[in-house]
Amino acid sequence: MARGGKQKSKASSRPAAKPPVTPAPSPRRDARRWIYGGLDLAFAITQAILIWKVIPNRLPSASFHLWTLPIATGILGVGTLLGGPRGWKIALAGGSLALLSTILLVLRIIVSAAFLSGVYGAFGKAAAMTAMISVALLVELVALLPIVQVKYLMTRAGRRAYGVAE
Amino acid sequence: MTGRRRLVALVLVWTLPSLVFLATAAFVYGTYRIPQPVRLDEAQRTQVAATLRAAIEGAPPVPCTLDAPTEEALVVTVWLRGRSLVRIDGAGITVGAAANDAASRLGANDTIKALSPADRREARLQIDVITGSAPLGGIDAYAVPGIAEMLAINPGVEGIGTEVTDGKRAVLLPHELVAAKVLAAKRPSNALPDFAMGIDLVKIGNLLASRAGLRGPVAPGDLFRFRTDTFVERPLAMRPGAPIPLYRGNPAPPELSAKALREAALAGGRFLVAHLAPNGRYIYEHDLATGQQTDPLRSSNYSMPRHAGTTYFLAELYRITKEEWLREPIERAFRHLADLLATGKCGSKLPDGTEIDCVLDRTEKIAQLGSTALAVVALAEYQRATGDKTYLPIATKFSSFLLFMQRADGSFRHLYDPQAQKPDDKAELLYYSGEASLALARMYVVTNDARYAVAAEKGLDWLVHWYDFFMGGFFYGEEHWTCIAAEAAWPAAKNPAYKDFCHGYGRFLRGQQPSLGEHPDQDDFAGAYNVTSFVPPYNTPAGSRTEAMISSYLLGKHHGTPDAEVRGQIRAALQYTLGQQIRPESEFNVIGAGLGGMPGSPIDRNVRIDFVQHVCSAMIRASEWIDEP
Repeated sequence: MARGGKQKSKASSRPAAKPPVTPAPSPRRDARRWIYGGLDLAFAITQAILIWKVIPNRLPSASFHLWTLPIATGILGVGTLLGGPRGWKIALAGGSLALLSTILLVLRIIVSAAFLSGVYGAFGKAAAMTAMISVALLVELVALLPIVQVKYLMTRAGRRAYGVAE
Repeated sequence: MTGRRRLVALVLVWTLPSLVFLATAAFVYGTYRIPQPVRLDEAQRTQVAATLRAAIEGAPPVPCTLDAPTEEALVVTVWLRGRSLVRIDGAGITVGAAANDAASRLGANDTIKALSPADRREARLQIDVITGSAPLGGIDAYAVPGIAEMLAINPGVEGIGTEVTDGKRAVLLPHELVAAKVLAAKRPSNALPDFAMGIDLVKIGNLLASRAGLRGPVAPGDLFRFRTDTFVERPLAMRPGAPIPLYRGNPAPPELSAKALREAALAGGRFLVAHLAPNGRYIYEHDLATGQQTDPLRSSNYSMPRHAGTTYFLAELYRITKEEWLREPIERAFRHLADLLATGKCGSKLPDGTEIDCVLDRTEKIAQLGSTALAVVALAEYQRATGDKTYLPIATKFSSFLLFMQRADGSFRHLYDPQAQKPDDKAELLYYSGEASLALARMYVVTNDARYAVAAEKGLDWLVHWYDFFMGGFFYGEEHWTCIAAEAAWPAAKNPAYKDFCHGYGRFLRGQQPSLGEHPDQDDFAGAYNVTSFVPPYNTPAGSRTEAMISSYLLGKHHGTPDAEVRGQIRAALQYTLGQQIRPESEFNVIGAGLGGMPGSPIDRNVRIDFVQHVCSAMIRASEWIDEP
């Protein structure tokens, strides 16, 4: 704090000095960027086909929620492959959106289980197992990739690969 | 990020989601849960009924002093010969106050006043004490799509109501929702056209609006669910005695025993005989709530396999009980088959000169293997029961048809075009191969002709070995006829693979059979076969699968390895069906001759002839050994 105070007193007697700018590091080559990007697009396409052909939904709110998953994963993939600081930001936004959407989906399953337990007095072994399998599949097919990828993007190695200041 | 902040972030990441999930679950559960009612005991029920009975009979008032709590309402329904004559809502914060209020209204009711003293005595009072309420729906946006829409209320247990004005409510009782057919109003799967679930909110809104005297329908957001402690007076012949507590509209079942099963099977037989028209055709369906019955002379809605199957049950009942009142109706039903044969639409000669014939209904152009197979089963059963060979020539022609329809590998063709004299080699339908194998096994029993035993064994081999693939022992189709045929073929066919198959099938079915205490609010479903406790089970599978399990158990006994789990499975299912059958105690809301009938499900008041056939066939067969240690 003392050093800050000194800078302030100097600033009053002569023109403000520009704060030292750390030059953005130049992006480094990292094969993970291409692996993650490829996986993201493959997952996004698979999820889209599943939602379109296997589990289409007639309710607009549910349909919207489901479609956020491939779209967010697609954004994650595009940002990852685009590279550079802009690509890093896009990828981070896509990954965070995919995770948020997954958490809300898990919440929907929990709300449904609690509702059915309330109305029917018990949820039952088969229903509990189905709900747990649904959550497990959701984590495996939707959440796992964004989790590890967001973690990678936030590490030093990830930032360096995109030329983002650490 | 400092070490401390890192630690906080780590703890939050691992705990916050779980806390949010737990809090959400607790909030939703607490909002939608209506606790099970604390039921009035025998003395309390008697006191409430005495107050209301005095009012209906115009006797001096008998004040009710019960201070048990109610949610401001007690509803009295007056039933006479199955019809809901009067419905009175009594208000009060205790059961006593609400009963006194209802009694004063009941005594002043013009419809009640117009009844003769005999009718007033005969009428049965049903009392619904409202014990708790909770919101209906409102969760659609936050739950898995379809859940709130399809599974909004516990059907048959919960009613639906709306606040009208000044705290006044209009309510539709659980049994009224059942009778209005609004509980299973949607058909979510095109592949399973008989499968229905989900409430009809629009119709419910209209019904409530009309009850409350409102102009427009009640919006779904203005509805609530409620639970009741329900009881009904005994039939006149069983009074005095405390009113009978009901759950999902049913009294507690009689205790399982050979005697109870035999009486229930005979009641089923009487129901079917009462629903057999002079022309030998059954009244195919009877809606107990409306009294509406299909016309046996004109209705096109008729199934010949079910006609044959039902007659088979009556013959079986006659063989086991030797009740003479069964014989004439059985012969009448067979004569109807003979009349159809006389049209000669299906008969022909094979190139080797063998005469074949098949069952073809008046409106049918394509013969179904199952119709003829079950006709043979019924005819053979009649001969087993009476020793009378009158129908043996017909049964022989039918059986020749079955042999003609069998392929070299033991499988069967299921459809036959009599005009072109050509079997359909592509169509595969449920049940028919098992039914044909059973028919051939039974023909061997009555004729001792080895051709039938060989063909039955070939049919069974094909059916059982169809499952010889990876995962084959983990799931099964509708194989109840296969197991019945496997036992019927004993001792001509002693393949232990049949026993293993049927015990495996039993194991598979037990996975769908809830036990007592598993779903406390749904304990009345214990013993039935049900994929989920959220949807009431159909009653027929509890019968047809038990028929199969009886054969499986007997097959195990023949091989010296009876399966105790299969025996327990049979007992649980039969206990369930005893509770579902219409008895004098549960006949209060039945219009027409319904005693002995088997409704489609706990919330479906329609009775079809095969519902009674399957359940009562299982009952009479089990009655022969169920009391044995």
